[in-house]
Amino acid sequence: MLFDALLGLLLLGLAWLLLSCRDLFKAIVLFVAFGLLMAIVWVRLDAPDVALAEVAIGAGLTGALLMSALAKLPVDNPPGRYSNEKTHWLLPLTLALMLLLVASGLGYALWSLPVIAPGLSGEVAANLEQSGVSNPVTAVLLNFRGYDTLLEIVVLLLALLGVWSLNSLDATPATAEKPANLVLDTLMRLLVPLLILVAAYLLWAGANSPGGAFQAGAVLAAAGVLLLLAGWRLPTALAGLPLRLALVAGPVAFITLAALTLLNARLLELPVEHAGMLILLLETFAMFSIGVTLAALFLGQRPQERGGSA
Amino acid sequence: MDRLYLILTLFLLLNLAAGMWRVLRGPSAVDRMLASQLFGTTAVAILLLLAQLYEREALRDVALLFALLAAVTAVAFVRRLWQSHEHK
Repeated sequence: MLFDALLGLLLLGLAWLLLSCRDLFKAIVLFVAFGLLMAIVWVRLDAPDVALAEVAIGAGLTGALLMSALAKLPVDNPPGRYSNEKTHWLLPLTLALMLLLVASGLGYALWSLPVIAPGLSGEVAANLEQSGVSNPVTAVLLNFRGYDTLLEIVVLLLALLGVWSLNSLDATPATAEKPANLVLDTLMRLLVPLLILVAAYLLWAGANSPGGAFQAGAVLAAAGVLLLLAGWRLPTALAGLPLRLALVAGPVAFITLAALTLLNARLLELPVEHAGMLILLLETFAMFSIGVTLAALFLGQRPQERGGSA
Repeated sequence: MDRLYLILTLFLLLNLAAGMWRVLRGPSAVDRMLASQLFGTTAVAILLLLAQLYEREALRDVALLFALLAAVTAVAFVRRLWQSHEHK
C-alpha cells in the first residue's frame, strides 16, 4: 500500500536526519516527529497498545525531558566542532564493512524467518477466559506473565534510586522557575484534570481494549511534568514518607500478591474467579507508582524535604 | 467512502512530509517547534481517519493521547528553551 511505503520511507529518512544532525534542538524536534510517525507505524502494525505507550513516552515525556536537559547545557556549545578533525581513511572503511556485515546478518535472519509464525497468540486466545480480562495484551502482562511486569516496575524504581543517589551530594538549589503567566495557568487548570481523567479512563479501558497501567501511568506523569514545568513543587511535608510510599505502592502491591499466591505454591497465578478484580487493583497501584516515578525522574533530583535533610 | 478516506490519509501524510522542510530549514527554533506541533495535529487527523477506515475504536484513544500530550512538549519548549536559546 502506498501509505505504508511512504510512512516507512519518511521514518527511515527521519532516523537518518536525526542521527546526522548537529544542532541539538533540531535533533529534539526530529526525535519528537520520529515518535509521532513511529506511533502511526505501530497503529498500522495493528498494535494500538504499543502506539499508546509510544505516544505517551516517546513523543510526550521524552521530548519534554530532552528539552529540559538541553536548557541546562551551556548555550555556547559550538556545533559541529568535530567536523575539523581529520580521520584516517581506514576508519570509515572499516566501519562501513562492519555495518555491512551486521546488516547482511540481520537481512539473512529476516529472510530465514518462517512466513507464517503464529507465536503464542493462539494459546493466549484459548486461555483468555481464565484471565479475568478480555484484552489479550493486559491478560499477558498482568496475569500470564505477571512476574515480567513486576520486574519492569522494579526497574523503574531502580532508575529513580540511581538518579537520586547521583544527585544527593549536589547542594545546588533547584532552578528558580519563572512564575506562570495567565495563559499557562489557565492551560494547567484545564489540562491537568483532563489528563488525570484520561489516565483513569485508560486504566479502566485496559481490561477490554488497548490501554492499561503503563499507558495510564505515563499520562499521569505527563500531568505531573506539566505542573513541574509551570513551577509547582511538591509541598515539603509530602516529600518525605508520603512520596516514598507512593513510589513503592505498585511494587509492594505486586510483591504482596506474589507472596499470597506463593502460599498456594503458585507464584502470581491469579484465582480465576477474582482475577479481573485483582488485575484492576494491581493496575491501579502500578499506575500510581509509575506516574509518580516518571514525574520524579523528570524532576531529576530529590524534592526538598521538611528540615532540609535531603 | 473508504477510497476517500485512503486518499485523505495519504494527502495528510504528504503534508507531514512537506512540513519536514520547515523543521530542517528553520530558521528559528520557534519555526521548528511549531512545525512539530503541526505534525501532532496532522497525526491526530490521520489516526481519526484510520479509525474510521478500519473501524477500530482504540485508534481514537491514541488520537486523544496525541492531542493531549502535544501540549507537554510545547510547554516544555516555552518554559525551558525559548528564552535561553532565543538567538537560534
